[in-house]
Amino acid sequence: MINISDDIITRTVSRVLVPFIQIYALYVIMHGHHSPGGGFQGGVILGASFILYLITHGLEDAKKRMSELKMGLFSTFGLLIYSGIGLLCLILGGNYLDYGRLSTILKVIPAQARSLGILGVEIGVGITVMAVMFSIFFDISTGGVLPEDEEGLGTSDE
Amino acid sequence: MEVTVLVQAIYKAFEILEKGKNSEKAREEARDLLYTSAKFTSETKSLTEKQEARVLLASAKKPRLALRNFILTFFILFAFWILLSGRFDYFHLTLGGICSILVAYLCHDLLFFNIRLGDFRTRARRFLQAGPWFMGQIFSANLHVAYLALSPKMPIDPQIIRFNTKLESDISWVGLANSITLTPGTITIDIREGEFFVHALDRKVAYDLNTGEMEDKIAHVIMEADHVYIQDVLDVASIFGALK
Repeated sequence: MINISDDIITRTVSRVLVPFIQIYALYVIMHGHHSPGGGFQGGVILGASFILYLITHGLEDAKKRMSELKMGLFSTFGLLIYSGIGLLCLILGGNYLDYGRLSTILKVIPAQARSLGILGVEIGVGITVMAVMFSIFFDISTGGVLPEDEEGLGTSDE
Repeated sequence: MEVTVLVQAIYKAFEILEKGKNSEKAREEARDLLYTSAKFTSETKSLTEKQEARVLLASAKKPRLALRNFILTFFILFAFWILLSGRFDYFHLTLGGICSILVAYLCHDLLFFNIRLGDFRTRARRFLQAGPWFMGQIFSANLHVAYLALSPKMPIDPQIIRFNTKLESDISWVGLANSITLTPGTITIDIREGEFFVHALDRKVAYDLNTGEMEDKIAHVIMEADHVYIQDVLDVASIFGALK
């Protein structure tokens, strides 16, 4: 169980830095098809920003912002985006993740459709990686004790 | 907090009277303002009382500041995005806008937590004016530490000094701690409830720190300790009115 840090310098500096880390992470995700970076790297940075918040502000405060349920939903949602785009290409008559086929739906030339398709897939990857990173750290910091377990322990007669 | 607020309150009261064309309502409002400011300044003496007053102010401002924080955070993040991205086509700017809105929604209470936004421009101007002073301070401290290191006797006298600060918010504490650490010869070890623990290299450095010049400078930039905004007093006036 991680409690709120008693060092005011760490707490304040991380509070100011977290928004900038997050916007940097989103920049890395969104510019993955132009410059170094991409879904995985950006997702890790985004997850690290939440982890930094958890370390400095404690588990309780972090839970209010990002619960385990939300993280689980996000991780599957990112996977849904990824596989959805892949299957859409399959349905349109190409291979799995054959982005050129998306040009018929998006009404753009195939080259641009590829660019947009890669961007969509990277957003999906980023969301999943962020959520999984955070939930792994979450599980480690709680020691694998789920909230419902704690409630059960509190009310049981044994 | 003492004199500044009263002078400001009197000034504002005259302004209200002028704007309200000396009507009964305007006179009432001005009287309320002066009464509240006098009460506010006479009743808050110690640090804990000041913090209580701060909590009162924060609760009064919360609904108004939430949207303002969101918008300001959005613009700062969007500027940072443009700095990173360097692409000015519509596609990337739209992406940046969406991302900034997302992050601003997630973090609107992180960046501007208990900062008063009363006169942002004044604070920015003071921040820029204080820059050269800090540079000069760092330069002279550098020379002093170089002298200490190079002189054959090495006349150092390491010591840990502790002092209570008059600053009130966490961001100003961290600002002071980081400027102390940035100046060669002194390092902030810890802050406990407004008490600073600083390691100083020799007597001269410790003496410079104890004069509190740097603390005054930070208080001037962040507008704390000896300054309170007239807006705060107006907020308290409305609370007092509601209580009555």
